[in-house]
Amino acid sequence: MKLEITDCKGIKMIALSGEVDMYTSPELREEMMNLIRRRTSPLFVDFSGVSYIDSSGIATFVEGLKGIMSYNGKLKLVGIPDRIMEIFNFSKLDRVFEMYGSIDDALNSLNSF
Amino acid sequence: MENAIEVVGLVTHYGDREILKNISLSIPKGKTTVILGGSGCGKSTLLRHLIGLLKPTRGSILINGRDITVMKESELNEVRKKFGMLFQGAALLNSLSIADNVALPVKEHTRLEDSTIQIMVRMKLDLVGLSGFGGFFPSQLSGGMKKRAGIARAMALDPEIIFFDEPSAGLDPVTAAGLDELILKLRDVFKMTIVVVTHELMSIFMIADYVIMLDAGSVIFSGTLEELKASGHPRIKMFLDRQAENENYNPEDYLKIIAGE
Repeated sequence: MKLEITDCKGIKMIALSGEVDMYTSPELREEMMNLIRRRTSPLFVDFSGVSYIDSSGIATFVEGLKGIMSYNGKLKLVGIPDRIMEIFNFSKLDRVFEMYGSIDDALNSLNSF
Repeated sequence: MENAIEVVGLVTHYGDREILKNISLSIPKGKTTVILGGSGCGKSTLLRHLIGLLKPTRGSILINGRDITVMKESELNEVRKKFGMLFQGAALLNSLSIADNVALPVKEHTRLEDSTIQIMVRMKLDLVGLSGFGGFFPSQLSGGMKKRAGIARAMALDPEIIFFDEPSAGLDPVTAAGLDELILKLRDVFKMTIVVVTHELMSIFMIADYVIMLDAGSVIFSGTLEELKASGHPRIKMFLDRQAENENYNPEDYLKIIAGE
């Protein structure tokens, strides 16, 4: 897994690529929780380079969402590949997370309120 | 078709008795393969070899191209992390809650935080229809629920290959059908390679993509379910038609057997 924290038009974004699994999830958790401790919102996560995610990765995002909701923050998942979307759907989490096809869609969602 | 497991020339003995007689077979990736055969045909022995619990007399078992029969225990343990296994009696630890049973392999093999593990456990329990039962102990669950909890534990580390040893044994038909549906769900959503050892005909017809049939320690069939149904092999026909076996003792043999000669 490769993880990069970038600024996307002033918004913090975690850009992930590769495999998010039992061995790499702890690093993702640490980085995401650091941002959440600083009450980052909105937080974007770019999934477009992710080739695989297992249940530890999904659980890490559930933890992140729980943390971010504690201060009414927003976590937005972007560019989820179909294969990975299937797992979110199956876990009934597609209706729990805010998901967007592209970064532009996620940015537009910020302006729509 | 890509194979997850390849068995080549496997021979094994219990004492002097040859149990598996030079068998070769392939288990396709991402499919449900049913290993079937009558009681004592060697199917559970084969399963124990596939997960590296037994060492054969001869032959090799290739998993992702690597022969597990020559691996050291430490190497084998790494390979086993990619396996999930549902044992016949579910093999839950009675002193632990269902949630702790499911969490155990994750705690043993990863450095994930406990808070992450707890979410994973709730996801697995929900997957097998046991949401809300995490605090229960195995003795408080029905047979079908224990099997489901066993599947949740087998799924704990998101295995590539999951093995089921007689999953329907001892279950009523409705519960057994529910378990079959769950097996299909695992194949379809997680694209897992599933290996089921069973002799339950109803299950075979419901879940099998690919069938391997053993008889007296030899492979007598491997192919699709349709090919199995169309087979003219007398042993397969007997099995599918649930015909009893004829006993062909002649009086002299029978006397030798009971006289102990």
